[in-house]
Amino acid sequence: MQKKLLLSLFAFSSLMANSETDALKEQLQLQQETTQKLLSQVEMLEAQQQSSANTSASFSQNAYLPDIAMILNISALSRDVKNSEYENYAIAGFIESGDAEIPFNAKRSFNLNYAEFAIHSVVDPYFEAFAYLHMHPSELEIDEAFVTTTSLPAGFRIKAGKFKSAFGRLNEKHQHSWSFDEQALIYKSLFGPDAISDAGVQLQWVAPTDTYIMAGVETLQGSNERSFGDEDPNLFVGYLKSSIDIGDNLSILGGVSAAHGQTEKKQSSNVYGVDLTLREQLGSYSSLVWQSEYLQREKDVDTSTDSQGGLYTQLVYQFNKNHSVGIRYDRITKNETDLSAYAGVDTDNLERYTGMLEYKPFPMSRLRLNYSHDRSKIINGTRQDINTVMITLNIAAGAHGAHSY
Amino acid sequence: MKKIVLITLVVTTALFASLRVDTTYSTLGAITKRVGGDLVNVTVLGSSKYDPHFIVPKPSLLSKLRRADLLIMNGGGIELGWLPPLIQNAHNRNIQNGAKGLLDISHFIPMIDKPSTVSRAFGDVHAEGNPHYTTDPHLVPIIAKAIAEKLMQLDSENADIYQKNLDAFTQKWQEYLKGYDAGLRSCRGKKVVQYHELYNYFLKRYGVESIGNIEPLPGIAPSSKHTLALLMKMKKDGVKTILQDIYHEKKTAKFIAAKTDAQVVVVPHDVGAVKGSETLEKFYNTIAEKICQ
Repeated sequence: MQKKLLLSLFAFSSLMANSETDALKEQLQLQQETTQKLLSQVEMLEAQQQSSANTSASFSQNAYLPDIAMILNISALSRDVKNSEYENYAIAGFIESGDAEIPFNAKRSFNLNYAEFAIHSVVDPYFEAFAYLHMHPSELEIDEAFVTTTSLPAGFRIKAGKFKSAFGRLNEKHQHSWSFDEQALIYKSLFGPDAISDAGVQLQWVAPTDTYIMAGVETLQGSNERSFGDEDPNLFVGYLKSSIDIGDNLSILGGVSAAHGQTEKKQSSNVYGVDLTLREQLGSYSSLVWQSEYLQREKDVDTSTDSQGGLYTQLVYQFNKNHSVGIRYDRITKNETDLSAYAGVDTDNLERYTGMLEYKPFPMSRLRLNYSHDRSKIINGTRQDINTVMITLNIAAGAHGAHSY
Repeated sequence: MKKIVLITLVVTTALFASLRVDTTYSTLGAITKRVGGDLVNVTVLGSSKYDPHFIVPKPSLLSKLRRADLLIMNGGGIELGWLPPLIQNAHNRNIQNGAKGLLDISHFIPMIDKPSTVSRAFGDVHAEGNPHYTTDPHLVPIIAKAIAEKLMQLDSENADIYQKNLDAFTQKWQEYLKGYDAGLRSCRGKKVVQYHELYNYFLKRYGVESIGNIEPLPGIAPSSKHTLALLMKMKKDGVKTILQDIYHEKKTAKFIAAKTDAQVVVVPHDVGAVKGSETLEKFYNTIAEKICQ
């Protein structure tokens, strides 16, 4: 094909030369064009020779080395409660004093929250492997380490290892991909900082329909002590998620989830969740996302059943490539449990207001100003409103994969 | 409910005994339609309204990928920010990395602007070179051939038809290019600036000189210092045309235009990005018209 083109060009140039009015200049230009065409053809042939026969290999960033990224999260923080008092906070009915794990942003002034190594690699034609090694200042934690299948038929995929459950909307997300620096109150209250993150197996199926429908089941060890805690493998999670687009720009994602497990005393504990996310795309770099989630736990304790639940709802507006602003409201809406230990303390209206302003100079770095007015905690035996302002810096250096929706 | 779903499935399969092909962008989709004809059912994932680097990986795209027989991608790193998680979560073994149903067109393209060193200190540079090759109409036959060969491999029963389509399309395209190139001869030597290096393949092909970019580094928003330097350079070199894409902010280009008497032209980066660029020919005609008017 290219040859034909060249031939016709030659023919064309000789014709042009016959015309006397056309000066040498024009001829020279055509010669230059021909030379350039030949040069680019040589370039192309060279490139073709260099490229391997397998034309479908992609995304590989280092021949066989895994993609490795370092994620670093640090903060400067101010809080109107002393560190020693804050670390012993209680949330009535959920977290007893001294029982709160605070791995991120625990202290006033500076916090090195973590340095995380995120590793991803295709293993072979059948598996992909992922590991997230979370390093706190004095410990190394395997946040997640799992494999997923890539070759199962009919829309199935199996994940095995230690992983964050796909329960609800937020459970699966890593801290650095949250829209706010503090964990949603109901997740913190029911599951603790790592949410449902456990060893086990997950089976997911995507329906072959025009509308996105995904169903998943998981069997997990059940080591989450806040809601479960019996370590005979006994935690079962199931969920159904679906999404529709309305027009080009509005997409709606909803899900229902359930987790059934046992407490340390071998009594039943169930958590249910519903979530809804609406996203309006306003441009390439601008969007409005409204995300809400409600979780409820039914936990058998001796002869009665504790019924507790709460929600968060958040609105995040990205107004240009570099800036976002967001607000979130957290609330415990149901707290039917034994609150006799808090006699004389107001245990109603547990809630928190959060606002944030984010600056992302580049997709790999983020500075965020996060303010929260927290009315959910008991400090030193009395309800106390807590105000926290922090500036966090998060970077992802290296080969860090894109985040899912 | 289940029965209805199953019945719909059976009916859909019977009605469209064709290949389901997803393409990441619209120009690739338009070329696929030309060589695939009625035998392929083409879905474009990334709307040409948006920055191709920042397509939102919304869940509806998962259901599109779930049933694809073939995924045709641009490659060159441009989809790195949105496509991998979609492939991971669509649970479709046909289109996994390394599978027969994933076609990365960049492997067929003589990529230009390959950086000798790669670091994010230089912004969003792609190690494989400039990925915006679809602005050069001379690469269309290469793309069409790559796609046709893949379709022949996946649907060998209809190989003859794909070959015929490809031959007819290629011949038509060469005819089209003759006229196209002739029309652009006067454009050689023209100087322009662009927002992002979106049009380098076209500019290089037709001898148009790009003397600078509005963004200081790829993917980095304009700074006043850089804008002023660009202004000076444009004045010195007598640049009168600023190439603006549809998705970046236009404020900076307008500011520069006002200071230099240059003209801002909005050039499509993909089929359908601006009005009147809905077909392949119209798309390339619009590019030529806007850049060389």
